Amino acid sequence: MNAVNDRSRDIGPFIPGPDDDMLICRCEEITKGEIRKAVHEGMWTLTEIRRYLRTGMGLCQGQTCAKLVKSIVARELGVSPAELEPATSRVPMRPIEMRVFANEAKEGEDHE
Amino acid sequence: MSNNAEVVVIGGGIIGCAISYYLAKRGTSVICLEGSDHFGNGGSSRNGGGVRQSGRDPRELPLVMYGIKNFWPTLSEELEVDCEYHQDGNLRLGKTEKHKQILTGLTDRAVKVGLDVKMIDGDEVRRINPYLSDEVTCASWCPTDGHANPLTTTLGYYKTARKLGVHFISGEKVVELKKVKGVLRKVVCASGNVYEGETVVLAAGYESRAIAETIGIDIPMQRVLLEALVTEAEPHMFDQMLGTAEADFYGHQTKHGSFVFGGSSGLEGFTKDNGTPICYSKTAPCICRGIMKYFPNLAGAKIVRTWAGWMDKCADGVPVLGKVEEVPGLILACGFTGHGFGIAPGAADQIAELITTGKTTVDLYDLRYDRFHAKI
Amino acid sequence: MKRYDLIIVGAGPSGLSAAIEAAKRGLKVVVFDENEKPGGQLFKQIHKFFGSKEHRAKVRGFVIGKQLLDEADEAGVQVVLNATVIGLYQDKEVVVKMGEEITHYKADAIIIATGAAENMVTFPGWTLPGVIGAGAAQTMMNLHGILPGKKVLMLGSGNVGLVVSFQLMQCGCEVVALVDAAPRVGGYGVHAAKVARTGVPFYLSHTIVEAEGETEVTGVTIAEVDSNFAFIPGTEKHFDVDTICLAVGLSPMSQLLKMAGCEMEDNPKRGGQVPICDKYGRTSLAGVFVAGDVSGIEEASSAMIEGRMAGIAASEYLGYLGKEEMDTEMAALDQALEGLRQGMFAPKNRGKVIEKTEEGIEISTSLLKNGYVADDEIERFPGVTHKVGVHPVMECTQNIPCNPCQDACPKGCISIGENITSLPIVVEGSECINCGMCVASCSGQAIFLVDEDCGDGTATITIPYEFLPLPQEGTKGVALGRNGKKVCDATVVSVKSAKAYDKTNLLTMRVPKEFAMKARFFKA
Repeated sequence: MNAVNDRSRDIGPFIPGPDDDMLICRCEEITKGEIRKAVHEGMWTLTEIRRYLRTGMGLCQGQTCAKLVKSIVARELGVSPAELEPATSRVPMRPIEMRVFANEAKEGEDHE
Repeated sequence: MSNNAEVVVIGGGIIGCAISYYLAKRGTSVICLEGSDHFGNGGSSRNGGGVRQSGRDPRELPLVMYGIKNFWPTLSEELEVDCEYHQDGNLRLGKTEKHKQILTGLTDRAVKVGLDVKMIDGDEVRRINPYLSDEVTCASWCPTDGHANPLTTTLGYYKTARKLGVHFISGEKVVELKKVKGVLRKVVCASGNVYEGETVVLAAGYESRAIAETIGIDIPMQRVLLEALVTEAEPHMFDQMLGTAEADFYGHQTKHGSFVFGGSSGLEGFTKDNGTPICYSKTAPCICRGIMKYFPNLAGAKIVRTWAGWMDKCADGVPVLGKVEEVPGLILACGFTGHGFGIAPGAADQIAELITTGKTTVDLYDLRYDRFHAKI
Repeated sequence: MKRYDLIIVGAGPSGLSAAIEAAKRGLKVVVFDENEKPGGQLFKQIHKFFGSKEHRAKVRGFVIGKQLLDEADEAGVQVVLNATVIGLYQDKEVVVKMGEEITHYKADAIIIATGAAENMVTFPGWTLPGVIGAGAAQTMMNLHGILPGKKVLMLGSGNVGLVVSFQLMQCGCEVVALVDAAPRVGGYGVHAAKVARTGVPFYLSHTIVEAEGETEVTGVTIAEVDSNFAFIPGTEKHFDVDTICLAVGLSPMSQLLKMAGCEMEDNPKRGGQVPICDKYGRTSLAGVFVAGDVSGIEEASSAMIEGRMAGIAASEYLGYLGKEEMDTEMAALDQALEGLRQGMFAPKNRGKVIEKTEEGIEISTSLLKNGYVADDEIERFPGVTHKVGVHPVMECTQNIPCNPCQDACPKGCISIGENITSLPIVVEGSECINCGMCVASCSGQAIFLVDEDCGDGTATITIPYEFLPLPQEGTKGVALGRNGKKVCDATVVSVKSAKAYDKTNLLTMRVPKEFAMKARFFKA
């Protein structure tokens, strides 16, 4: 995307909300208030939010909360959610035990 | 917002953010430019979190020792973020006689510089960390080493510097440096924006090479892809930072419970990528096999994520830090060669001291730009 | 490294369709799927599909799944189950987890057909056990035979919310309410109507205030929202429930594409993060194709056509098919896909408020607000006519791409015409023989056979009936209106089950004749 993003732009103060203690990322137990506060601390991209708070870094890898986090951050920044690029997807698509990941089959077998 | 400041810092990784922070703390006005969309997007958020002195080159050792003494222990309070700093020692593990030789060599060099580090045998290793397999026969042990969370630390510097008034801009890719009347002043971006400073700090990792080139400076470094992985949270096992003589893996258990391990496949430097640091299909399985040899009971831990990052590998393995005689106004802070995280607070503070006072507490002479010569 | 011509990730409707087309043309194809059973969502779909014959309309989803598997098998496709593709790497390499090991495979072409995952919404208590996705509920019921709960509140009035509500009732759950924050029902009116007539109340412009319970869901409170989606104080309603189902949309599971470096875009019209691709599924990475929900949320019917397109495009890419031949095949598929993307619910009409049908008839406001067409609105639709003797009454009031009814009648009583989205009409002068084929063939369960005056003061109404236990002839009960409220007493005259009806039973009930055009469901 690489759009120039001046992090000094005024997005207004953090105003506590009644549902700030609601869990958003259930794997890592991150609340809405923590996400909103992080935006006001300068974390303006979903990647920065993820690295700062661990949202979407748990077992489900953001499958559940990515869209929720996105809409919260977008609202806080006053932009459309579509403007925020989702955080990068990583291998493995599903959590995998170390012993299985380590166990490479010698040669792919034909499935016939 | 003005496009002028006393200092323009190019690069929003931990080095750039920390330099910005220590400058702002000294009352200097700073603009910090990050080429990607995110602060802390390079090696700063992709490393194993080591805050370590042992195993380092004696030329950079004083700088990291300075940082561990003066900054790391209080960094969380200072940055108002949990850096998860643990100073519980570093075990650099060995399994063979050859490993022992490598480790002993590293240890002897460090002791000469005044570091508290020693060689220990397999039993002593397992007294410190009972989860290690019997294959481990020796280790270097440095009790003042440790680890921290690179993500929160990097973003903590960014956050706190921003609060102090540093003007941070992301998505601002620098394409050219320009002198005005013999002194470097202008920083030109792909967007067309031009920033001006009395001093320009180049802390953009490997990208620094192409940027420096626009003003006739060449830093001998390569871009090398390194990979890391993280497990799901596991019950607490140990607090030491770990490495191995052959660097097959390194890492630690985080406060969160997950294990973060970096490692290598042996193909580093020869892998290819698609323009982003993309994982190589053979590396993570290799890291897993490496880890399991040392920690058999992590075999069932689930890997939730793997990632890759580029290190700026300098020709002689230590960073390029300080002023460049040929280009007044330019300060280099790059080439950290994959171990820039633990050294960042000390290095950044010293660069800030250099800019504001003209001198440094730790001698940076061995890390100067002019040091590279042909071998014969 | 083992290399295939084509690796397909996902054995759902699009992946299997792609595999069949490619294998038929001689490609060596393997399909990996992480599930223990193939078919993606198809095997959970126990309802009859919409569309026309070429879209396999009026066939139940799980039957389509079986058909696809048979075709794939015949074409020589290898479908590998319990095989999780954990990564898509450079050079079209995939790493697959199977059992206790991983295997590296390469292919000259790859089709990603990984489908979609359910969205969530938050409210206090949303993390309590008992709050589940509607798709998850469907998986529990239809794949594993497990009842998700006893008393359920459904949030979301799109097709998923409506279809799953009906299936929950078929399983024996009580659906206490169907709730949506939007002011209008999002899914097909016929799906809504078949839920509403069983007595499920619809609460549009309402959403969940709170899920109650200490360790699991024991209740839920909803309230009305204003046009800014803010709660209106004093409108709270409480329900005792043990399960809250969320049917609030799907997101493409496009992670493999993103990790491989495919150019992506965030497109709310396609459901979120999707690969940038052309209409045949070609992405920015040469040789990597996409099909189905992963490239934009739609129906299984369109996913199957997209799959066929991607399979053909991959065949052409690898030289198994000439460009001209491809163009000819694609032209036909373009048309088939275009046919599905017509009508009021077409992707291009998403978000639009449509007030009139293509025929110029005002849409039922009650249908959009309450889930059923009001008694005083129904007469204006062309499928609703009156005549002496048994005749079909087609309560199909929205333009959707579906036409099995016109082929179902052996007497040619029903016509939709050239335009697949037109409302069905009764052909003048045609003669109904009361065979019931139209009732059974209507995927929307919107056709009734009515004899408005049997001559003895009563009327008979034949309704599609898909609940157990089946009432017996002579059973006395009550007739419910379109709104699910009792209109009168009713007696079951007959219950017919025939193979041709494909598990839709035809229940005929007798009611006083003044209720002939009001009674639409039977409750024992």
